[in-house]
Amino acid sequence: MEEEDQQKLTDLVKELILRLLSCKSPNSASQSPSSPHFQASLRYAVRILSSRLAPSVAPDAAAVAESIKRHLAIHGKSSQALTFADLYSKFDSKTGPGSINNKWAVLYLLKIISEDRSLAGNDPNYPSLLPNIECFEAESGDKSRVSREREGGRVGWDKGVLLVSKDPENLRQLAFKEYADLVKEENEVSEELLVRDVLYACQGIDGKYVKYGSIVDGYILSDLVKVPRATRTMVRKLCELGWLFRKVKGYISDSMDRFPGEDVGTVGQAFCAALQDELSEYYKLLAVLESQSMNPIPLVSESASSGNYLTLRRLSVWLAEPLVKMRLMAVLVDKCRVLRGGAMAGAIHLQAQHGDLLVSEFMKRLLTRVCSPLFEMVRSWVLEGELEDIFSEFFIVGQQVKAESLWREGYRLHSGMLPAFISNSLAQRILRTGKSINFLRVCCDDRGWAESAMEAASAAGTTTRRGSLGYGETGALESLINEAAKRIDRHLLDVMYNRYKFKEHCLAIKRYLLLGQGDFVQYLMDIIWPELSEPANTISSFKLAGLLESAIRSSNAQYDDPEILDRLRVKMMPHSAGDRGWDVFSLEYDPRVPLDTIFTESVMVKYLRIFNFLWKLRRVEHALIGAWKAMKPNSITSQAFLKLQRAAKMPLLLTLRKCQVLWNEMNHFLTNLQDYIMFEVLEVSWLNFSHEMEVAKDLDDLLMAHEKYLNSILEKSLLGERSRALHKSLFILFDLILRFRSHADRLYEGINELQTRSGKSSLASRDNKKSGQQRNEGPSKTSSWASDGRKALTQRAGEFLRNMQNDLDSLAKEYTTLLEGFLSQLPVQQHVDLKFLMFRLDFTEFYSRLGVNKC
Amino acid sequence: MDPEAARTARESLDLAFQMSNILDTGLDRHTLSVLIALCDLGLNPEALAAVVKELRREPSSSAPVLPPPSFP
Repeated sequence: MEEEDQQKLTDLVKELILRLLSCKSPNSASQSPSSPHFQASLRYAVRILSSRLAPSVAPDAAAVAESIKRHLAIHGKSSQALTFADLYSKFDSKTGPGSINNKWAVLYLLKIISEDRSLAGNDPNYPSLLPNIECFEAESGDKSRVSREREGGRVGWDKGVLLVSKDPENLRQLAFKEYADLVKEENEVSEELLVRDVLYACQGIDGKYVKYGSIVDGYILSDLVKVPRATRTMVRKLCELGWLFRKVKGYISDSMDRFPGEDVGTVGQAFCAALQDELSEYYKLLAVLESQSMNPIPLVSESASSGNYLTLRRLSVWLAEPLVKMRLMAVLVDKCRVLRGGAMAGAIHLQAQHGDLLVSEFMKRLLTRVCSPLFEMVRSWVLEGELEDIFSEFFIVGQQVKAESLWREGYRLHSGMLPAFISNSLAQRILRTGKSINFLRVCCDDRGWAESAMEAASAAGTTTRRGSLGYGETGALESLINEAAKRIDRHLLDVMYNRYKFKEHCLAIKRYLLLGQGDFVQYLMDIIWPELSEPANTISSFKLAGLLESAIRSSNAQYDDPEILDRLRVKMMPHSAGDRGWDVFSLEYDPRVPLDTIFTESVMVKYLRIFNFLWKLRRVEHALIGAWKAMKPNSITSQAFLKLQRAAKMPLLLTLRKCQVLWNEMNHFLTNLQDYIMFEVLEVSWLNFSHEMEVAKDLDDLLMAHEKYLNSILEKSLLGERSRALHKSLFILFDLILRFRSHADRLYEGINELQTRSGKSSLASRDNKKSGQQRNEGPSKTSSWASDGRKALTQRAGEFLRNMQNDLDSLAKEYTTLLEGFLSQLPVQQHVDLKFLMFRLDFTEFYSRLGVNKC
Repeated sequence: MDPEAARTARESLDLAFQMSNILDTGLDRHTLSVLIALCDLGLNPEALAAVVKELRREPSSSAPVLPPPSFP
């Protein structure tokens, strides 16, 4: 069988060669198998046949048919392509005996022969175009009518009609060949290598041709490498990604280096971590691309040279999205290079306000991670009062202060670190809540706030564990803070009111320092009066303390809470020479922790001022009342009146009367002033303060209410800044009143003396003792008096009374002027309540009319 | 050959011939039949195509000097 086949093979080959040679040169003599040409050809053919034993392409008939079809379609012969497809399907369906077994081989053969023919037809020596077209045209005609003439040569004008086909195939082929040559010339470097280099550049590594140029600050293709301009531009564009990557990576490694030096905070670290995550995604993409770049495209047609999958254009498509992301990251890196903590979070948040969905998603992811340390800090501050902020990134800063100023100065907001998504009011609430917890812990020694914190957390739906809040959940944060603030504030106020009896202490201060407890003040004044008239340096505070004690014990104050009474003390202010006790005496109240947050040093100083003023007022009032005691109509004066001569009667009456009138005026003034202070100022302010204490929601409210209370008292009692002039004139008035008192005293003493003198002559025997006592006062006068008669007495009395009268007159005048001055200043005061004072003092418009009349 | 097989063979040859015409191979029916037989016998179609190409070339370029052949 083998032998048979071989023989058949040889025969067939010979036959083939014969036919080929004969058809090639039809005019020559018919070839015989023995011609030398034939033999040579035979040998040649055999050589060729034996050299290629295996085909180079996989035997797939359908694939070959496909490629033939495509080939035909490309060259514009679509109808032929369809016909071919039809034929092929019929051809393929022929199976069984007598059919061709190796269909693929046949098809492949036909394909190659036709290609060879067309290639041979593109010989540059080819004379003209037309015959070729001719050929095609002829072919497109009836296929069955293929004749030997046509086979003999290509040239033949069968139909005599010229049809120009759309794309002359060999022109195209010509153009392609030229182009291929050109490209080969220009491209020193193949695209594959460039792609690989670009991929390296995108990871920040210098490739063979694409290197980082520090002058231009970018990845560029070296000028020495010859690549076409288009490629160069494209490579440049793609390398922007590399530059951005380099920047981001540089920032991350910088931060990592600086971290041990404690320059980068937790927020910065979180930022770096988030960036690194994004970069790892990027690396994944690059790895995929790299693996792809090695693979060729699986193509059906083998003749086309399959370039690599990844061309520069494809790469640019793939890298478009990473480019956007990397740009975002680079922008963020730039902005955040110098920022830290909350400021960094705020800056990133601002960048996140973007309409593009991709950008905002990306930013949100980044921000969730960046803000988690911040939120953690907020949570621990609000629920536990802990401030763990090593790198000072939080927007609340604390400082070491004494316990009493913990509330006011211990913590404050640092607005530079406040990110934009936390509003100012929210930040205030956060600050207050944490402050309250710390205050409770430090000053009040209270542990009950922990339960409040737990309640708050559960009410807000989060837990007290870490990491339960995140960026974008500002609503949750706000509700947590609100709940916590509410509860803690309430707890704090409870503690203040119940445990530390804030209200009671306030009331006590009002009663004692603001002289609210009338009976106590009266008694104290009574017994302390003689003491305080001494010069300041002779007074001992122990004695005064003892007097205070006895005053307390003898008034209703003894029933007060001993804790409160404990804190009431006498205070001696530093005195200078010439000071009387009145100038240095004051009471003080000792608020202890935690109440001294409210009753700070400055607050107590204010209270002291008010006390001094009120005390002086009381003293003057007391003096005046004392004068009244002496001025009461009594037996002595009436007796004196009777006893005196007529000449002295009138002056006496006048003097007395003047004294009375003046006293009345002064009393009127003082009483009204006192009433005003007591009722309009102190009581009203206290009422307002009590109201506000009821509605106060937290300690800040309470502090403000108390300050308002104090300030209104100061203002209304003329102790404020604006009423300084008024205050001075008031004190001058007080001094005047005191002087009047001493004058009145002297007057009445004088009258007493007169009376005793005049009564001495008649009652000498009876009043020996009395006169003896009274004689001690004026030993030099008595003898002269006793010796003089009634006339001398009258004379004396007249003189004395005249003097007194003059004094009183001058006093009265002074008083009137001063009072007028005082009253005239009142209307120009700002405070509306001072108008009430004016109203009281000048109820009958007596003084204003006086003023008018004078003008 | 039975008539069936003969018919099949003829039809196949016809179809192949038509395809060959579409592709403009310049082969006549007889040559084509020889080539098909050779392919069926298992020869490499690439080699056959090369033979056809070479032997079709201009007379001036054909008839190369060959060493003694080595016939398989």
